[in-house]
This record gives sequence, C-alpha cells and structure tokens, in this order.
Amino acid sequence: MFLRALTVCLALLPSLTSASSLSSTEYAYPIANPFIATIAGTPSAAAITLPAEHQIKQSDHALRLKKRGELPGVFYQSHQLKYRLAEQDGAAPLMFIIAGTGAHYASGTPELLKKIFYQGGFHVVQLSSPTSWDFMAAASRSATPGFSPDDADDLYRVMQAVLANHPSLQSSSINLTGYSLGGLQAAFVGALDKQRRALNFKRILMLNPPVNLYTSVRNLDRLVQTKVPGISNQQTFIDDLMQRLTRFFERQGRIEVNEAMLAEFQTSDEALSNEQLAMLIGSAFRLSVADIVYTSDLLNQRGLITPKDYPLGFNSDLAPFLKRSLLCDFDCYITQQLIPWWRKKHNGGSLLQMMNQVSLYALEPYLKDNPQIGVMHNADDLILGPGDLGWLRRTMGAQMTLYPRGGHCGNFAYPTNAHNMLEFFHD
Amino acid sequence: MTKPFACLSLSLCLSATLPTLAHANPEADSDGFTHPLSQLQFNPFMDQQAFERAGFEVLDVYDPWTGPNRRIYQFNQRADEWIIMPVVRGYRYVTPDLAQQGISNFFSNVGDIGNLLNSAFQLKGQRSMEITARLLINTTLGAFGLWDPASKMGAPKHHEDFGQTLGHYGVGAGPYVVLPFLGPSNLRDAGGTVVDFASEQGVDFLNVATASSANPAISVLRAVDLRSGLPFEYGQTNSPFEYEKVRFLYNAARKIQIAD
Repeated sequence: MFLRALTVCLALLPSLTSASSLSSTEYAYPIANPFIATIAGTPSAAAITLPAEHQIKQSDHALRLKKRGELPGVFYQSHQLKYRLAEQDGAAPLMFIIAGTGAHYASGTPELLKKIFYQGGFHVVQLSSPTSWDFMAAASRSATPGFSPDDADDLYRVMQAVLANHPSLQSSSINLTGYSLGGLQAAFVGALDKQRRALNFKRILMLNPPVNLYTSVRNLDRLVQTKVPGISNQQTFIDDLMQRLTRFFERQGRIEVNEAMLAEFQTSDEALSNEQLAMLIGSAFRLSVADIVYTSDLLNQRGLITPKDYPLGFNSDLAPFLKRSLLCDFDCYITQQLIPWWRKKHNGGSLLQMMNQVSLYALEPYLKDNPQIGVMHNADDLILGPGDLGWLRRTMGAQMTLYPRGGHCGNFAYPTNAHNMLEFFHD
Repeated sequence: MTKPFACLSLSLCLSATLPTLAHANPEADSDGFTHPLSQLQFNPFMDQQAFERAGFEVLDVYDPWTGPNRRIYQFNQRADEWIIMPVVRGYRYVTPDLAQQGISNFFSNVGDIGNLLNSAFQLKGQRSMEITARLLINTTLGAFGLWDPASKMGAPKHHEDFGQTLGHYGVGAGPYVVLPFLGPSNLRDAGGTVVDFASEQGVDFLNVATASSANPAISVLRAVDLRSGLPFEYGQTNSPFEYEKVRFLYNAARKIQIAD
C-alpha cells in the first residue's frame, strides 16, 4: 500500500516541478524564423480577433509628479506623465501593463496587450517604460534607468498615483504584467509590493523577460555587428534597404504599404537576410539606447553628451547630440552613466555585482514556488543566453510556460498565448 | 503632407507583418533553448560601426533653416494636439464609417486630376492610362467619386505631385522646410504644392475649387479628412529626436516616391 502511494507520488513529481512547455506540433504559430517573428508579430490570419478602437472605453490621463521648473526647457510638456486607462462598466479586475525598453504606453505591444486583457474583462492601465523618454523626464527620480530596484520603486509610486487619480474606478483585484524589460520590472515591483503592501497584487505575469539583464543587453547590442554583404564605407545598410524597396516598388508598379506588401517583399528577390533583419532589430534597440543616453545625461547634467548648462531651446539643433548619443551602446551607457551613479547612490561595486542586483537572480527567493507570479517565454527568444531557460525552470517550476516559437514578444496575438495569459489571471 | 506620410508609415510599419520563411527548426538544447543568435554571421572584427555610420547618414539632411523649422514643428505639434486632432476625433465620432469612406473617396477622386497631370508630365503612359480609367469609372459608376469601384476593377490608386515631377527631371530637394500646419517638406516640394494647388483651381474638376472658395466648410472637411487618414501622431516616436527622425523619414519616402 505504502509502496503504491510512493510510486504514485514519484510519478506525479515531474509534472509538479516541471514547467509546461509546448511542442511545436501542438503549437502552430506560423513564423519559424525568430527574427521575422520579432519584427512582424503574429500575421493577422493567425491572430485572435480583438476589439476595435471604438469598442474600447478609454482615455489618456496625466500625472504631475514633478514641478515644471525641475526640468530643462526642451522638456516643455513632459513634466506630466501620460498614461492610458481603458475602463469596463462597473467592477472588474485591474491590469497594469509595463512597456518594454524605450517603449511608449501607446505603442504597438502595450496596445495589443490592452486589447487582449480588455476583451478578457479587465480595466487596463498602460504605462510607459521607465527607460522611455517621457517616464525618465516626468516620473523617474534618478533619471538613470536600468537599476531594477529603483525603477520598480518609481513604477510603484506611479501606480499608486494612478489609482489615486481614479477614486471611482471599481477594481475587484489589482494585477500586473509587463513584457521584455517591463516583465523584469514587473517582478521587481511585485517583490516591492510584498514589503509595502500598498497595492496587494493578486497575480503578476512576466512576458519574455530578460533573466540576466547583461546577457540580454549584450545580445541586443551585438545585433548591429552582423555581417551584411554589400555594406561598405560608401554604402550603409539604410542605403541598401532603400535600394531594395525602390526596386521592389518599381517592379510592383506602385507604392503601397500594408501587410500583404511586406509579405510579398519578403518572398521577392529583395527579401532581407537574417543578418539584415537582426540589424533592423538591433538598430531599433540602439535608437532607444541613444534616447536613454541623451536624456539621462541631460537631466542629470553629466556633461557627457550635452555640455553642462548648454542653453537648449525649442529651436536648438540637436543633431550633434544625437550623433554623440548614437555612438554609445547600452554597454557604454552602463559604464559611463549607470555604474557611476549606482556607486555613488547605492555604494555599489563591480559590474558583476550590479548585474546580480538588477537581474532576476536577485529575486530568486521571491520567485521560488510563488503561485502569484508566472512567466511565459519562447525557446527562440533573442534576448536569452544559454542557461537562462534552465534557471527559470528550476526557479519557477510549474509557473513557467515555454513556447517553441515566437522570437522576442512576437506571439502575443497568437490564440494559444492570449488564452494562456487570460487563464493565468483567472481564478 | 498625405503623400509623404503614406509612404513614411512604411518605416513605421516595419513592425507590421512579414510572412513565414521556410526555416528549419533549429535544435533545442537540454533547456529547450534554440540559440537564435548562433544562426547569424557576425563581423570578424570587433566593431564595423555599421549602425553608427547609418545613423550619421540619417542626420545628413540639408537643413540650413533648422532653427525656424524647429519652432514651426513645435507650433504644428501644439496646433495638432490642441485643435486639429480634437476636431478630427469629433468628426470620427459623429460621422458614420460609410460616410467617412465616401468623403475620403470623393476627395481622393478629385485629387486624381493632379495625379493624372503629373503622371502625364513625367511621360508615364501606362500610369496615366490607369488614372484616366479611374477618373472615368469613379466619377460615373462611383457616383462622382463617392465609391471607388476602379480599385476593384484593377486600376489602383497612384500618387504623383509636382514635387515628384520636378524630382523626376532631376531637380534637387533643396533645403528642408517645415510648413505651418502642412508639416515636413523641402523647397522643391513646397513649390510643387503651390503648383498643384493652382492647377486644381484652374481645372476646377466637379466645381470643387469654386464651391470651396464660396463655402470654406468644404476646405475644412477636406483638411479634416486628410488628417483623419494620416497614421501619425506627434510624440508617437516618444523620442527627444522626433524632429530628426521625421526629417529623415520624409526625405527617404520622397526619394522612393520619385524613383517609382
């Protein structure tokens, strides 16, 4: 009898500890190439149907967290932090969405997630990333994003202010999700909430978060180092891209940009190689980094990009400062701005020490066997390194769902994903 | 502003959808990780600065009047946020979708006169024929352009303006200009806009030009329809360098349009 009970227990054990991961036969997300998935998301033919704009009762609001005089003149309207609230009629659970690196609250992915959760019956609040220009200016106390505990602290304060701003909003529970860097920050916010108990999150879901922040940053920085044939001192990859588009439109006989055109482009002779797609993803990341580098330097008057006390006005030519910012990748931002600030403010030490404090490793005790927090990730996510998924699986166990495809955040609109997201928050 | 922006959305739309590429599922390791970056070829040297060089090229736009341009850009942003977009939202709210589509089609049909003229100026035979067919079909079967049956009958919309005609014959872009209310342009295209406006007044197709000067509400409706169809909002890039990014995208879009 005892032996039988033991065998049953042993047989159950793997299913209790192991994360759910789907095989590619049962998961038919149509894009196998992780770079295309990252750029293009889910093709509309394979995506879930979502409510149209006019079916959502939503509006943008602003929080005044800083005084106008605290910011230089060029930030003429950014002393207020804008956010978007979509309301259900009557009482409903509330969802906060934290955007990814550099992303605005109204950009594509937060909008997509909003529609999924709104359709699932949630009130939804969309917040800009702490690394985005508007958040840095209006809400960040250090204006030096990247140190996750402090970013979470800023976010926590913003979330409290949002709730205070809508006293008549009836929320039956408060929940949190974030994608990419926003996923990592969501976990830090959750850990903070454990101590402060001001919001009492019911559940928290991380979508494609970095595990080791430094690995993710290095991966993204590296994407612009790919070998693309035809690039020389005279010809940049943008020239090459423009020539491809020109030739393509010439052959089409007309210019039109839509999903079908992009599909056709990628099957034509002018199709981009993986290296070129990686270059595009990396460039988008580096442009966000340039914004961070410039804004953090300016707000803290560090004098690395914009000279101290430089008289910036609406009519100032910013091109020289953008040029300097473009030369600094995220690694450079860490070395030149984040680490010096961290050493001063938090008495910090080495890079390795910092990365342990800002990555998911720092939250291991909080994440371990915590049914409140879950993670969804993709086997082909560009921001991961070897061992990251193993660490997540060991730490989060059954709270982890792994999809075989989707690149970085490319599969949110795929029905299985959207369904699982809602299911996670469902009682 | 419409035409460049229609194409401008191209770059913003890179986040739209691309198709499946035949692609073998790479082997997953024991964690289930497929090492996507291992498929890529990287430069053998540490840093070829491909991104930095492209970035510098993006900034390489002739903009000698940058100070006034930036002030007008700021003015346009405020006008758009405080006046134009609230009006557009009100218009979208009170007007049924079908009526919005009809209004849009109507002005688009009127605009085909300019497209035809410029297409003819550039001696593009096939394109001119298509636009002529559009005008004939849409003005008759489409009830003065309220419907667009021509697109379904294989005569798709083309955009040609006088700025493109000038560019076609090798006229350079000249200095970058931000026009009040109309947005990004350059000396050549701003001149082209004036010519296009004058020729529309001259042709007076369907008496729209005459009616508009008698009744300014028609011009307002046209402007609102134009703005309503533009997928751009100020602050959308959420970047301190929006001016520079829009400037680059405008120029890139115009280069592609002129080459086409």
